[in-house]
Amino acid sequence: MKPAPFAYARPRTVLETAGLLAKHTGAARLLAGGQSLVPLLARRLACPVLLVDINRIAGLDAIEVLPDQIRMGALVRQQQALCSEVIRREVAGLAEALAWVANPVIRQRGTVIGNLIANTPGAELTAVALALGARFVLRCAAGEQILAAEELIGPGRSVPAQAMVTHVLWPRRPAQAGFFEVARRDGHAPVVAALVTRTARDCRVALSGLTRTALVCPTMARLIGEGYPRVPSREALAAALTVDLTQTVHTDGACGAQYRLQVAPAVSWRAAQRMSLSRATA
Amino acid sequence: MQCLDIRVIVDGKALTATVPVRLLLSDFLREQAGCGGLHVACGHGVCGACTVVLDDVPVRACLLLAVQADGAAVQTIASLPQLEGCEPERGLTPLQQSFRRYHALQCGYCTPGLLVATAKFLAGCPSPDRARILEHLNGHLCRCSGYANIIAAIEAVRA
Repeated sequence: MKPAPFAYARPRTVLETAGLLAKHTGAARLLAGGQSLVPLLARRLACPVLLVDINRIAGLDAIEVLPDQIRMGALVRQQQALCSEVIRREVAGLAEALAWVANPVIRQRGTVIGNLIANTPGAELTAVALALGARFVLRCAAGEQILAAEELIGPGRSVPAQAMVTHVLWPRRPAQAGFFEVARRDGHAPVVAALVTRTARDCRVALSGLTRTALVCPTMARLIGEGYPRVPSREALAAALTVDLTQTVHTDGACGAQYRLQVAPAVSWRAAQRMSLSRATA
Repeated sequence: MQCLDIRVIVDGKALTATVPVRLLLSDFLREQAGCGGLHVACGHGVCGACTVVLDDVPVRACLLLAVQADGAAVQTIASLPQLEGCEPERGLTPLQQSFRRYHALQCGYCTPGLLVATAKFLAGCPSPDRARILEHLNGHLCRCSGYANIIAAIEAVRA
């Protein structure tokens, strides 16, 4: 047996889950898709006292269309969201990004919310959540709370130990979108990934991988929006990026800061090109 | 050590077992359910060798706990004829014959997972283009074949 011993609970409701988290603050981990957590358990990089398997909680696997937002539960799998017509139409950019996440078999099991809150450097979906202004519904024993994406996956932020993220709320925003990334190997976390999405009213850009957590780039977005349908030069994008770069450039064993800085404008350019060529979903 | 009773249908046979909660599904299938055809390689979801079908969905058996399969049906390489939806001819399914014909395996370690995943892939997408095949193979590591022969074998059986 590879994982270290843990106790296992299989709650049937969100309320029951919140109770377990409150009782074991900091010592419990939630298991949804498990595509990131189980490898950590197997390598004993995560050794929770209690593993709370939320997979049997009813109703969390739904993608619901509300008047001004799309409500997605904690058990919505990445492949399910990728294949959803509603998501493709109303949350422009999410499906484009999901197509780059891991590989089809991992996406069958991995959840959208699990990927978002793991918030590993370079995670594609975090750029989408920040660019689109997604919000998270958190549940703890004391009650429910709604947080903006940057409060949960922004620099230095994480999910409070006693809370469970039950839903993510995506604003309905039919738009054109383009996504592109450079990774060491297809399906692995990108070195740098870029999302560009545009409506008649505004343009948004966010990058994953350049900084420790995803970076929203309003200056680049303005430049791309004003030039549409022509895509600004890489040099112009690089200049705009220096204005947007408010955090230190990320560096790890896979890739240093210099290359990330160098490739980011080119990746953004490709994403903008894809956005320009895409048809509006509106 | 916490143990739980589970009921699983493995390759069409109903089983009940008492398993430690930290036992991975891949280890349960090999050691307790007698699925010798299932191969365990990397053990943390990278290589795809242990791919099985859980309630009609392809998954990595090493990324699930055995207790998570409680109440579910698991299909391993032994269910390949069912997954491909046809009877084997001289002991081999069309996909196996194609793998043999195109020399799409050498040591064979990655093959069971690859065949299971490919059978499911082709069931959902009977005529994939090369790009789709490459995307599908992205989740499988093969250290012998260089993939060219695997791609050829899959291209030969697509509709």
